[in-house]
Amino acid sequence: MEPRKKIVVVDDDEDVLEQLSQILGGEGYEVHMAASQAEGEELLLSLHPDLAIVDLMMEEQDSGFVLAHYMKKLYPDVPVIMLTGVTSATRLSFDATAPESRSWVKADRILDKPVRAEQVKELVARLLGRRRHGVGAEAH
Amino acid sequence: MIGFQADGRSIKANPGETLLTALRREGIHIPTLCHMEDMLPSGACRLCIVEVEGSGALVPACSYPVAADMAIHTRSPRVLEARKTIVELLLANHPDDCLYCSRSGKCDLQSLSVQLDVRQRAFPALPGPQQVELDMSSPSLVRDPAKCILCGRCVRVCEEVQGVSAIDFMGRGARTKIGTAFDQGLNLSSCINCGQCILVCPTGALTEQSSLDEVVAALADAGKVVVAQHAPAVSVSLAEEIGLKAGTDVDGLMVAALRHMGFDYVFDTSFAADLTIMEEGSELVERIRSGGALPMMTSCSPGWIKYVETFYPEFIPNLSTCKSPQQMMGAVIKNYWAERQGIDPEKVVSVSIMPCTAKKFECSRPEMGNELRDVDYVLTTRELGQLIRMFGVELQGLEPQLADNPFGERSSAGKIFGASGGVMEAAIRSVHYLLTGREMEDVRIQPARGMKGVKELRATVDGLEVGACVVSGLGNARDLLEQLRAGRDDLHFIEVMTCPGGCINGGGQPIGADLARIRSRMEALYRIDREDTLQVSHKNPWVLRLYEEFLGKPLGHESHRLLHTHYDKREAPV
Repeated sequence: MEPRKKIVVVDDDEDVLEQLSQILGGEGYEVHMAASQAEGEELLLSLHPDLAIVDLMMEEQDSGFVLAHYMKKLYPDVPVIMLTGVTSATRLSFDATAPESRSWVKADRILDKPVRAEQVKELVARLLGRRRHGVGAEAH
Repeated sequence: MIGFQADGRSIKANPGETLLTALRREGIHIPTLCHMEDMLPSGACRLCIVEVEGSGALVPACSYPVAADMAIHTRSPRVLEARKTIVELLLANHPDDCLYCSRSGKCDLQSLSVQLDVRQRAFPALPGPQQVELDMSSPSLVRDPAKCILCGRCVRVCEEVQGVSAIDFMGRGARTKIGTAFDQGLNLSSCINCGQCILVCPTGALTEQSSLDEVVAALADAGKVVVAQHAPAVSVSLAEEIGLKAGTDVDGLMVAALRHMGFDYVFDTSFAADLTIMEEGSELVERIRSGGALPMMTSCSPGWIKYVETFYPEFIPNLSTCKSPQQMMGAVIKNYWAERQGIDPEKVVSVSIMPCTAKKFECSRPEMGNELRDVDYVLTTRELGQLIRMFGVELQGLEPQLADNPFGERSSAGKIFGASGGVMEAAIRSVHYLLTGREMEDVRIQPARGMKGVKELRATVDGLEVGACVVSGLGNARDLLEQLRAGRDDLHFIEVMTCPGGCINGGGQPIGADLARIRSRMEALYRIDREDTLQVSHKNPWVLRLYEEFLGKPLGHESHRLLHTHYDKREAPV
């Protein structure tokens, strides 16, 4: 049997962690949680995940960017989903598809909160299923 | 009739009529921000105030009944000053960002500020950061409460026309706002993504979730093959986005413009509508013959599908399992056409141009694709207009072109899908053939046509008494579902379009259309049908070839794999 895919979820909101853990655990993934950028960095040193989901604003406003960057340095091929409500709050929008954004946003997809369970499941399945073809090709 | 005086003119009105109705009939301009045609007045914005002589009162014309012998003033200094103050007050907490607003140039508040000569910020904005959050969570819509003027039109269209009530007023006094249940955001609400709220919003508080950046990036990427499909209702509506007369069919010019902007292939979703008829017609005949769930309900309109899943899951078995034409086209592009062309399906970026915001949600549904999504991005008619402006394409300077085959040729039955009743009419034309082996002598099904929200049809086909119903606007659909729930059993086939009048009035269509403009879009579709030589889906040679080369037969194995889907009950606060 194929080993279970490992997903790292980093968010300082306990409820979000719990929900994502339930949703993804229910899909058969092995979910590892961290509640801050620092915890996330530590976790990534001891674990090579198949995918990571990170919140943007945690202990620092740009924690998610830093963590995603760190992650891509360690594991360049592992897809990162950034989960955020930041556009809502700041009105600064950015995306992970335009070439200009891709040069500095080290995430493969950005999802605006709140997300539906089916969105997370679909996106995770697609990113994991398509890893062999290269992640950058993922369509919005 | 009763008589009254307005600005010194004698005017006749029917008893019980409001001042607004009587004055507008006479061509007297009365501004409003909250009034909606054919709906009860709400009197929320007060911009329609007029002065009643003798009483000293300023009354709202939208809700004030005409009284015999009254004398009113619609443009006295007092009226104009009061209207200007109302706009200034609305602007007091409105962001000054017209330059960046997607509705700039099409905003009622902006044009009223111009009309009433508002030239300064009369009331300073409250200090401190904006407390209101943008709701970006929905795959279809963006809601910006900072630009909301609380006119209530979106709330009313959502509740009274669509029967959804995803949004409502919350809070009291200065803290009043419009929001979703528990303020959770549109994405988790019962919103069906129809976008009718965008069409009625007088400001930029409601817009579509744009995919322009992604499409522009794909067009610039040499490693991608960008394929467009355009829905039946788009070619008869795009004219209004580019300053042409409503109801002008710009099909050939639009195809030329898409190619000019870098789309590698352009297909016509009406082809997939023909394909839908082959599948859905066969499904209906199959259900009638084998005792399947009846009445069968159409599944082309994604807002309606989400509505059933959320509000009436007991009717899920009645929904046709056919994917919508958009998704069928997406599926055959990546699974059949790409291989036929020797193109890696991974390199195909499939963009659909739709009159609809719910299509953005539909293409993101997990069921809509296998390893690859059937459709990658959806642009509304408005977004296509914007893309054309961004690329500086002069449509009138282009030579009309035909769409690409194998998915470029359509019957006119596929084209009339864009109007409420069109799917029904196209289906009857083909089901008649399937059941009797004969073509209809006159293919026009007049009772299915027109803007009425509920249209019933009865016919005897091959000895079978068939009942059918066409509804548009989900409030009408809800009433019909309630009748079915109460035991009504004389119907076999029901066409439901989420938006009133069908896709020609979809939530992705040009802003500011009145009933006359929507009618001219509808007339354009039937004109195309009248003048066409191929009027039935089952004779579309390319559809037949697709079955021959790839799909086998309607409802066959490949069809089931690619063209059919399933639906699930949805949880949302209702």
